[in-house]
Amino acid sequence: MNKFFDLRFVIGAFFFVVGLMLLIYSLTNPTIEHAAVNRGCGFTFLIFAIVMMLLAISKKPQDKL
Amino acid sequence: MQLHFIDYGIIGLYFLFVLGIGFLLKKRIKTANDFLMSTRNIPLWITSLAFISANLGAQEVLGMAANGAKYGLYTAHFYWLGAVFAMVFLGLFMMPFYYGSKARSVPEYLKLRFDEKTRTFNAFTFAAMTIFSSGISLYALAMLMQTILGWDFNVSIWVAAGIVLAYTFLGGLTSAVYNEVLQFFLIVLGIAPLIYIGMQQAGGLHGILANVENAKLHLWKGMSNPAGNPMGTDAFSMIFGLGFVLAFGYWCTDFLVVQRAMISHNLNDARRTPIIAALPKIFMPLIVIVPGIILLALQKQFTGFELPKNINGQTDYNMVLPLLLSKLYPSGILGVGITALIASFMSGMAGNVTAFNTVFTFDIYQSHIKKHASEKHYLNVGKATTVVGILLSILTAYVARGFNSIMDLLQLVFSFVNAPLFATFLLGMFWKKSTANGAFWGLLSGTGTAAITYSLTMAEGKGGSIANLHTFYSGTSQAFNIAWISFTVCFIVTAIISFFTKRKPENELVGLVYSLTPRQQDKNRIRYKNPLWVAVIVLAITLFLNILFY
Repeated sequence: MNKFFDLRFVIGAFFFVVGLMLLIYSLTNPTIEHAAVNRGCGFTFLIFAIVMMLLAISKKPQDKL
Repeated sequence: MQLHFIDYGIIGLYFLFVLGIGFLLKKRIKTANDFLMSTRNIPLWITSLAFISANLGAQEVLGMAANGAKYGLYTAHFYWLGAVFAMVFLGLFMMPFYYGSKARSVPEYLKLRFDEKTRTFNAFTFAAMTIFSSGISLYALAMLMQTILGWDFNVSIWVAAGIVLAYTFLGGLTSAVYNEVLQFFLIVLGIAPLIYIGMQQAGGLHGILANVENAKLHLWKGMSNPAGNPMGTDAFSMIFGLGFVLAFGYWCTDFLVVQRAMISHNLNDARRTPIIAALPKIFMPLIVIVPGIILLALQKQFTGFELPKNINGQTDYNMVLPLLLSKLYPSGILGVGITALIASFMSGMAGNVTAFNTVFTFDIYQSHIKKHASEKHYLNVGKATTVVGILLSILTAYVARGFNSIMDLLQLVFSFVNAPLFATFLLGMFWKKSTANGAFWGLLSGTGTAAITYSLTMAEGKGGSIANLHTFYSGTSQAFNIAWISFTVCFIVTAIISFFTKRKPENELVGLVYSLTPRQQDKNRIRYKNPLWVAVIVLAITLFLNILFY
């Protein structure tokens, strides 16, 4: 449970939600100009978020909130 | 610029997270030390990112993009000539004295090395500067929101100030620092797609090279003559004024950034904080300067990328980033971009307010008003100071609204205060014969000289309130020259007075002066943990970039 309050996890959680929002928005609004930008950014944010959360879970908690 | 539901959703989510971080950290705050100093217990990667993020405020994000369009790649000198070398110097040579002396702030180091009056002078000028800077951040945020989104000026000010107050009041310095890390990632990831999209639209590297004036794509070409480069400066004022005095003055003596290193676990981490921070700092021009250069290429090829005029009828370069966001970002990622801008303003504001409350509590209140009180008392003073700091920032923001030249004034105040202060520190840390009276009068005369130089010279229609003895090609060039002149005067006056006044006994200067402090041998065999090795890598990359973009 403590690991969920690690700063890396919190940052990861933020970008996970933002990435998910962008992906869903790009899929539900495919006709919008530059929809691919939202899709690409959403996907990148998700990868970044997962890496941050994995770092928080796999390493010892050192910066717990 | 029209925001949609998803854009507002992202902005709202960001506000929720920053407040959440403050709320979660609330239980950690029990003493003034927890609130104002984070109990010197913050991990290295956080202090390093907070170190550069504290500087990533309005002036940096909007200002550097503006300079990118105005001066081109010459703006990168602020990083590849100034910041990086100064950060390495701070880590290798100055941090052992800041951290090792157990001083809680930069003014407190001045008290230990010199005396109370030098500390008080620095504490008051620094406190005024932070409030000024925080208020300008707030003003700029509200103006930007009003201009590009049509939000009400008053609502923007009070909402942004309220959120910063909430998370700094709840979690103190730790909360500000942790949020700075989130803000760092948000600024980088929120603006990076703009570079990719902008480059594509501008025709890639070939399009940039073909459409941007050649002089704006070099770092050193045309430096022999002020008329031969877009910044209108010469090699001496660039290298000595910016590269040495202004950059070292800011990065090595400004408590706002130095505080982030002083809260590390141990001395090794404190030394590595600015050096590791220098690594991402090297690449920051990609995020904050390149957008300005991309805009120049887009202006040549398309219509609709013209910058608006400000109230004086001049091109408003500060609108570079907002203009690109509105033209190149669709809704969705636009919300991330706008949130990144809001984050940069809030980061700058919170950094200033947390530095202000530390300096006020320790260097003004504890030193002059109530010397011996309980920890709880100083915690309450720190919290009350946070509220007062925010209220004063709001007041400054409203004052700034009435004076359109206040932003220029702020830049000037920095060069007035930080440039001579660096001379004081240089002599204080590395020359055991410098005395308290020498430092105080040197500092006063250096600051006075900066004011007089400004009043006797002009650039871009500013300055010259007494007479105009010289006109500089640009305001930037004027600032570089004021910096090296005030530094030199402070250095000489401090040295001369020190020869004739009584100095502290040497045993009181151990741990405060380089020649009297035993060297700490860094026996760390793991190279990435050795500050010297990291510094060599950072400097090698910086030199390579200087040669590559000659």
